[in-house]
Amino acid sequence: MKNKVIALTSLGEVVRDGATVALGGAWFSNHPMAAARELLRAGRRDLHVISLIGSADVDLLLAGGAVRHLTFSMVTLEAFGLAPNLRRRVEDGSITITELTALSMEVALEAAGRNVPFMTFTGLGSPATSDLVELHPEVYGYVPDPFTGEQVLVVKAIKPEVTIVHALRADAQGNAQFDGTYGIDDELAKAGDTVIVTCEEIVPTEVIAESAHMTKVPAFLVDHVIEAPFGAHPTSHIPRYTIDGHELLGYAAAAGAGGDEQEAYLARLVGETEQQYRERVLGGGRGAVLAELVRQGKVLTGVAS
Amino acid sequence: MSEHTGEHTVAELMVCRIASEMEERGVTVLGSFTPLAYASYMLAKLTHAPDAHINGYNALGMPAIELAFMGAEAAASKGSTARWGFLAAVNVVHLANRGNVEAVSSAQIDGDASINLSVIGDYAHPKVRLPGGVGAPEVVQNYRTMLAYFGRHDRKVLAEKVDFATGGRFPVDPEERARRGLQNGPVKIITPKAVLVRDSTAPFRIESVHGDATVEEVVESTGFELAPNPDVVPTAEPTEKQLRLLRTEIDPFGTVQFDFMSGKERAGYLRELIDREWQRAVDALAARGDTGTCT
Repeated sequence: MKNKVIALTSLGEVVRDGATVALGGAWFSNHPMAAARELLRAGRRDLHVISLIGSADVDLLLAGGAVRHLTFSMVTLEAFGLAPNLRRRVEDGSITITELTALSMEVALEAAGRNVPFMTFTGLGSPATSDLVELHPEVYGYVPDPFTGEQVLVVKAIKPEVTIVHALRADAQGNAQFDGTYGIDDELAKAGDTVIVTCEEIVPTEVIAESAHMTKVPAFLVDHVIEAPFGAHPTSHIPRYTIDGHELLGYAAAAGAGGDEQEAYLARLVGETEQQYRERVLGGGRGAVLAELVRQGKVLTGVAS
Repeated sequence: MSEHTGEHTVAELMVCRIASEMEERGVTVLGSFTPLAYASYMLAKLTHAPDAHINGYNALGMPAIELAFMGAEAAASKGSTARWGFLAAVNVVHLANRGNVEAVSSAQIDGDASINLSVIGDYAHPKVRLPGGVGAPEVVQNYRTMLAYFGRHDRKVLAEKVDFATGGRFPVDPEERARRGLQNGPVKIITPKAVLVRDSTAPFRIESVHGDATVEEVVESTGFELAPNPDVVPTAEPTEKQLRLLRTEIDPFGTVQFDFMSGKERAGYLRELIDREWQRAVDALAARGDTGTCT
């Protein structure tokens, strides 16, 4: 069987300057952060980033000047504030954006995965209620329903050249498993021309077969597999680790300050290997605490009476 | 911070008011960080609507959880009964009319129930670029009951016209909605002063006011026209049981306060929340005799 495993340091050879790259994850969950860091280390430029619900991943790439165009439905640091580099780059006009509603963007990616030119995403003659529809005639349009004659809103397929998602585990062929939050990672894998799976660990195919129901991205969709432990850090990868609140506070402060402070943050990331990054941010037992925070996640049972 | 009125905060009153909209039918989706809404859903599950179906991230049928800032996502996964990708869920919930109640929070809303999560100022040259609406446009259009909550009530937030309509609810007329295959239900706005409701082509009206707030004050603080309502009532006060559940079980860390804070207040408060939750995990590791930890 084909061995698709490559080193994280080879990512820059797969993703070239100017590529259209979809990143997995949602909110602060399961973004391919090791890959985002590596794209900065490789000095990638002029990327068209596709992100349904981005956070520290997209803002970091914006901070590093790697992005020319962003297609998204949300980019936010949530409790940590507005995404500072999204604000900066959009407000100064230095990137182009295509902002879409979430459902329409998901359906656009679904269309790409099915290799159809467009799909509808509204009910019977439901009108556009978002100003985004009029703003993006290159994405949204209307077709007559052949059965009723009503105008139906459709969205054009969005096809990433490269998709990068982060999985719990994968085998060397690319069968990728997820347990906790995985957003639309499965749809991104169907839509992308070249699909890269980073994962917490590479395991033998027999291990995958024992829990085949957890495989959301099967091998035939996958081109490259990269082992990247804590590869979603400082975002979460449930059930392995929660978000790292302290690291995100650090990022939000540096990104919010911008200028020298942000440059220093970036210089440190770019100047170290991923192994050195892990030693720095997870040392002193911090990795074990992030795992314990998952265990501490509390279901409320028997408290209602 | 949310002000105390008597024995409870305005935040707690708003949580209880939103919770009362939850029913044991359809689906509610928990996604973007809207702590006041999260707390409301959990409270409903622990009181009148234990079988309310909530999708938390990719965890379908999630149980009521403690709203720890870092651990809530893991808690949502525990005890949930299915795992789906987002697309499967939005196609079946948002699009196929299974969305029942969801509370969104935006930068602005106007009298047409259009919401703005995109920009303050001109779209092409914004004064402030906001995060974007993610699924809120579909929620406000397609859910049976649309709830919008806000941490403040003034004419900038409840605006005459939103700077940009990231999403909206149209048409409003019940018959016209039915003809187009859309669910029909009210739009309710919950603020620190009042509950506003719109359920026909007539403008929003005041349904209830909280505590000491007056109708005049609410009208004065609202940027869009309100239809007169002779039957404005006081908003229901939280019960002892609701307050106990909120304070001791659902939100012991106080995450709902985020909805009432400025950016500067948030940073310090957030660090405190993170430190407390982190320490709880460190203590738990130590109690088990786990030695890899010295942080």
